[in-house]
Amino acid sequence: MIRSLRAFFLACHLREKLLLTGLAVGVAAIWLSSLAARTGRFVHSARITAATLSEQRLWLSRRPSIEASAQSAASRLDAVRTLDTTRLLAEVAAIAGESGLRSTTSGEARDVSSGQFSVHTLQFSVAKVDWGTLKDFYLALSKRSPYIGIEQFSIQVDRANPSLLSANFQISSVEIARN
Amino acid sequence: MCASPLAFLRAGPPPPRVVILPDAVFFSRSIEVPPAATEAEVVSQVGLALEALSPFPLAHLYYGYYRPPGAGRALAFASYRRRFTAEQVAHWANAEHVMPAFAAILACGAGPATTVVLAAAEGLTAVHWDRDPVPSAVLFHPLLPDAKDEERAQARDALIKAAGEAKSVIDAPSPPVAQPGGGEGEVVFRAGGLTSGLSRDAVAAIDIRDKADLAALARARRRDLLLWRGATGAVAACALFAVAELALVGAGLWQSARNTKVAAQKPTVAHVMDEKELADRIDDLSTKRLLPLEMLSIVSPETAEPKSPPSIQFLRATTSALNTIQIEAQTNNAGEIAGYKSALEQAPACERVEIRDQRTHDNLVTFTLIVTFRPGALMPASS
Repeated sequence: MIRSLRAFFLACHLREKLLLTGLAVGVAAIWLSSLAARTGRFVHSARITAATLSEQRLWLSRRPSIEASAQSAASRLDAVRTLDTTRLLAEVAAIAGESGLRSTTSGEARDVSSGQFSVHTLQFSVAKVDWGTLKDFYLALSKRSPYIGIEQFSIQVDRANPSLLSANFQISSVEIARN
Repeated sequence: MCASPLAFLRAGPPPPRVVILPDAVFFSRSIEVPPAATEAEVVSQVGLALEALSPFPLAHLYYGYYRPPGAGRALAFASYRRRFTAEQVAHWANAEHVMPAFAAILACGAGPATTVVLAAAEGLTAVHWDRDPVPSAVLFHPLLPDAKDEERAQARDALIKAAGEAKSVIDAPSPPVAQPGGGEGEVVFRAGGLTSGLSRDAVAAIDIRDKADLAALARARRRDLLLWRGATGAVAACALFAVAELALVGAGLWQSARNTKVAAQKPTVAHVMDEKELADRIDDLSTKRLLPLEMLSIVSPETAEPKSPPSIQFLRATTSALNTIQIEAQTNNAGEIAGYKSALEQAPACERVEIRDQRTHDNLVTFTLIVTFRPGALMPASS
């Protein structure tokens, strides 16, 4: 068969041979280019998938130890004294009031829950407060640790009155579901 | 090409295009050559012999020769150029080989003392082998187209007798015809029951055309072969790509299955990650307290040991990690910054102190102080 095709090819005119060869080489080049690009994309995607699967396997294999770790962390807390979002806001507002803070604002609480455990986060701001009052609030808040914790804190001097301060707290509380 | 491509492919390659010339217009002679002579030496001796035999110079002749490798003899044959018309010569350009009829059967494998009688319309040709694979004599006897059988028989007998003592005589009643399907390295002719397989090299030497034209044809053939190899290489590559496409489709199915697995596991993994984050946060809340006011107390210019001048004022402070505080401060005495920094570096609770972004405006220098405390060095204030 090949010899028949070879004889047919060699019997063609030179321009026909050039055309046939050019077409064959052109098709091969275009196909190679397309195939190489798609193979490259596939290899990239396969590598990402392999990495994702590997990461997922790692997380799934660590699941028992993570659950044990969460249980262990929660065991240090008294479920009765943990606070949900409403109680957290009420508790912080009460402490602020007891410390003499007047100008306070709080943002909407955010919750992260895994079913049995939840962490509630609250942005709490105080404005135009003197250092002593702020310190009283801070110390009163610290006494509720570890049921209430400060995760982030910023403070700045009031531009109009340098003796007054404004502060922002990111306050968190843990809630353990009571069965 | 045939009507059916399959029939075309099954039919095999066509016979090579060979122009068989009448023996009547050729004269031939056997020339002794050293068996070890190279091809170039044989060509030279053939040329000299033909010039000696012919009344015409070599340039006025179409000539060729037959000499298998290692043979001690070469059969040279030639024809005066003017015996061929311009139309005939033009027709040769499309042919792969051009040769006299008797040259086609020279490789018929005849034994010693054998005479082959080739019949053609214009006469009979006797080719006689005495001992060598190269014939010792080639004789032609012209006959009229309407010659009777008796005349033909007489001519045959006369030719056999003139050719030399023959133990066997083989008759080839039809002129030689190139056969299809010859191997890559040879051209096969058949004349009656005779089969002659001439090697490509032998056919090239037998070809009577101008040697320059033959060289050009050889170059064109090499170019055509290169084109053929290029085309077949490209087609083979395409076949390989088709296989690769199939592999890619298969790999795509495998990848799709893996993606499905990733998607199926994603919610579970996200849940585990959330659990891990929660566990870490619960653990941090229970064991790692952020102590911002304690940090401020340690780095305050009024409390830092050794005491620093109180010209440095804090404007803003932010905790950026559990043990790190970033403070924007200002002073009207830039010289105090270095002293303050070294005082902090000497404090046992401080692990690293950095001063960044120093700027001056209206005699006030502002800067950013980043202090990292040693883990466990901060103690919660009691009151």
